[in-house]
Amino acid sequence: MTEPMINPVNRPGDKNLGKLFNGGKVMKRREWRGFKDTMYDFFRWLKIWGILINVSMGKGFVKALFRYRWLANYLAVPHMIDKNTLGQRGETLRITRTAIDFVVKEMAQIVKDNNRADIRCGNDKKLSNRSVLCDENGMTAFMMGFPTLNSAQREVVTLFSANLINQNCATHYIDVAQQYGIPGDVCPMPETELGISIEDDFAVFGKCAVQINTTCDGSMMGNGLIAKRLEREYHIPTFQLAAPIRFKNDDVQAYAAEDIKKAIAFVEEHTGAKWDWDYYFECAKRVNITTRNRWEWLDVNSTDYPQFVGSVFCLYNDTNYMGNCGKSAVFPTIDAKIMQLVKKGLENKTMLGQQYRHRCLVWGVQSHYLFDLLYWMINCWGVVPLSDMLSMVIDREIAEVDTPENREQAYYDMAYLTENMIMRNHTHGGYEALLDEMWKYCEMLGADMIMLWEHIACKALTGMHGIFEEQARERGIHLVWVQHDLCDPRIANRQSIRDQFNLYMRTVMREEPLDPSLEVIDDNNMW
Amino acid sequence: MRDLKNLQYFEDLLRLSNNRLVVQAKNQGRIFAAYMCENTPEPLLNLGNCFGVRLTAPNTGSTDIATYYMSSFMCEAARALLERSIEGGYNYADCLIAPDGCTMINRCAENIELLGTIKGNERFFVEHHETPLKADDNGVDLLVLQCKNHILTPLHEKYGIDISDTAIRHSVGIHNQVCELITAIGQYRKELLPRITGYEFAVITMATYVCPKDMLIDKLQETLDELATREPDSKPYRARLLVTGSELDDIEFIRIIEECGALVCADRFCFGSTPGREVIELTDDEDALTQVCRHYVYKCQCPRQMNMEKVYGRKENINRLALEYKADGIIYNQIKFCDPWAYERAMGTAMLRDDFGFPVLSLERPYNSHSSLGQIRTRIQAFIESIEIKKIQEEHNND
Repeated sequence: MTEPMINPVNRPGDKNLGKLFNGGKVMKRREWRGFKDTMYDFFRWLKIWGILINVSMGKGFVKALFRYRWLANYLAVPHMIDKNTLGQRGETLRITRTAIDFVVKEMAQIVKDNNRADIRCGNDKKLSNRSVLCDENGMTAFMMGFPTLNSAQREVVTLFSANLINQNCATHYIDVAQQYGIPGDVCPMPETELGISIEDDFAVFGKCAVQINTTCDGSMMGNGLIAKRLEREYHIPTFQLAAPIRFKNDDVQAYAAEDIKKAIAFVEEHTGAKWDWDYYFECAKRVNITTRNRWEWLDVNSTDYPQFVGSVFCLYNDTNYMGNCGKSAVFPTIDAKIMQLVKKGLENKTMLGQQYRHRCLVWGVQSHYLFDLLYWMINCWGVVPLSDMLSMVIDREIAEVDTPENREQAYYDMAYLTENMIMRNHTHGGYEALLDEMWKYCEMLGADMIMLWEHIACKALTGMHGIFEEQARERGIHLVWVQHDLCDPRIANRQSIRDQFNLYMRTVMREEPLDPSLEVIDDNNMW
Repeated sequence: MRDLKNLQYFEDLLRLSNNRLVVQAKNQGRIFAAYMCENTPEPLLNLGNCFGVRLTAPNTGSTDIATYYMSSFMCEAARALLERSIEGGYNYADCLIAPDGCTMINRCAENIELLGTIKGNERFFVEHHETPLKADDNGVDLLVLQCKNHILTPLHEKYGIDISDTAIRHSVGIHNQVCELITAIGQYRKELLPRITGYEFAVITMATYVCPKDMLIDKLQETLDELATREPDSKPYRARLLVTGSELDDIEFIRIIEECGALVCADRFCFGSTPGREVIELTDDEDALTQVCRHYVYKCQCPRQMNMEKVYGRKENINRLALEYKADGIIYNQIKFCDPWAYERAMGTAMLRDDFGFPVLSLERPYNSHSSLGQIRTRIQAFIESIEIKKIQEEHNND
């Protein structure tokens, strides 16, 4: 971007957002966004509390609260959402709220089911018997034909979402895994999952479990120990679903599809449920709706007035594809609401901040404990995160009409979804998926800058460090490395992450911040 | 013991990646297929005029340039191979066959490809192949297809290599000859006063990975014959140890263990004798390629095979080997920054200790053991002492 784009609209409310941070667990006060937006935001904030209260009324909640150290993290959900609405007004605020509130609702239901079915808490055998434990790091596509079964994502609520809420939630479990003998250089996400399992802090329920080799070597390897506990202590049989690594090649698809068939047969065998093709194609239609909507949002983001961006865009896609995979009938209605707001924002030429200086593609593996950094980039430096690697999920629609040919194609489509698990579809599959596609999206979105999250323990990403730099130099694109350790803030804390961006903007770009109060903020102690 | 006649010869072959046999084979106009992982079926690289050599980077010192390209968190073997390739150490290779086995070796191969660091001939090519994630027939089908598309067809199209069933059977025949010799040599480690040391065995076995196999058979046979009459040392070893774990092409690691007074009586690692030097059984009622692939899928002991039969089976296999070779303890080694073996080592250590009752030393090591000699030696010495103390306590309790 050569000339900055100045927002002609006066943005009411707080201008110096840094003053909201005073070193406490939460922000000093709510952000003032003008009367209308503040009231809207406050009302939605109250609604979140309503969802949380509903969870706390669920069966087994009290027992779970005393049994599991991670459950208390969910008290900080409203604060997590506040971080992700920093500086937002008008349509932008409403898009974020619509998306994230629904994500929270979905997560709340998972937590509720978790507590209810857990043999140590709610002990609801009926729910447990129709639950299949699904791997956190995998698409749940193989469950798209089981309308009566619960795709139980106990790992998601124990680690993934908990870590978005409380930056320190994983550290204890990382220590547990390292005491067991896992080195400190592996990705802390599967390491945390393993630590949780070693400490026996996962809810225990389900008729069977399906693990997947996605995301990475670490994730695949952690599964072995988790499965051992499930099988030998809790007598929950496990199946390991294989998603080929070089999934861009045609000659691995039959292998992947065959394993999907085996996973389905395994679930049928252990739950007694039967695969329902009608339901599958219903789900497939919804997956396609999601895909079409996402493309349209990306089209909007390639204009001068991007609307649905940042970490919430990513979280929404994450929830919609990974956990949902078309199984929820509610997502399309939420998609439609967001679409309406996006179109309105585009029509009104709504800007996300006071000024746009750079159009930025966010690539790499995002930091969990600083997921909200993308909004900070807009407010502090006027850098607009047009899209991120995690939101670039699939690029074709799947078969959605029930025909004999499509029933066979469906196994390939489920394999395609599984292979293209969020994040993994770029960190694996050869350098083409990581490098070439980055440049393709960079061009498509008209980005002049790339913010590259370098998760230091992600070997798939760091293994291409030098090539990234060389290719960026050749293309004349600004490449900003931002290193972190995914879910361990002890390795790189929030300010040290921001400092890397600050340093680049000041020294290489020779720019001054739009909101200097945000350059250094005291949020190290925050949830 | 009296030195083995050919030990120096075998040791020399390990000092350089373009050792004298590789140079000799190249001078004869043979095609050199470089590969990087135990999951690539070796006999398919030894067809006709072609010979396969697994890449190593002996005597690695600094890996500064590779660290820039791949970061300091990357497996040291992957970095060492990239560094060596940047230095021009593999320029004599005619192709590179790389599996997408573990992420780091894959990234190493991709860096080599993108940076064009192997300046081979104009027909030089890089192929990446998928390897099955589970030991099942679906995996066999996958590997067959991958071998056809990413090994056999390119070799045939680029270099005119004979990839017929007959050629594969011939190659397996030579492979099996080497395997039988290595197995027979390795059997001597079972003796209470063995007539071959773990270091000697590791050197000989390693040589079979980094040289054209057919050119080694005479020396291997000669060594086996020599062993039949070799007088073992009368002094017993302090402990008999099984070494298992990740990629290990640094024979110095075995030497360090034995310098501490132990005997490495059995091995289970990449570049080792199991399963890499186990005979591939072929029958006439099925094509050779499928049978070779089935062998590699089902015999594989790499942690990237994730089905639970394999996860448990790998530990049971080590228990079986430890009992067969009368090991007093197990060293579970992991090359630094290797993700698959980080988890496998931790789990294997716990299971072999708790479920099978073996003393286990769980050890992270650098690619080049000499860069951390003191620390490794101290840990091994302490481990051997702990085994000795345990033995003394057991004797005391029996009295």
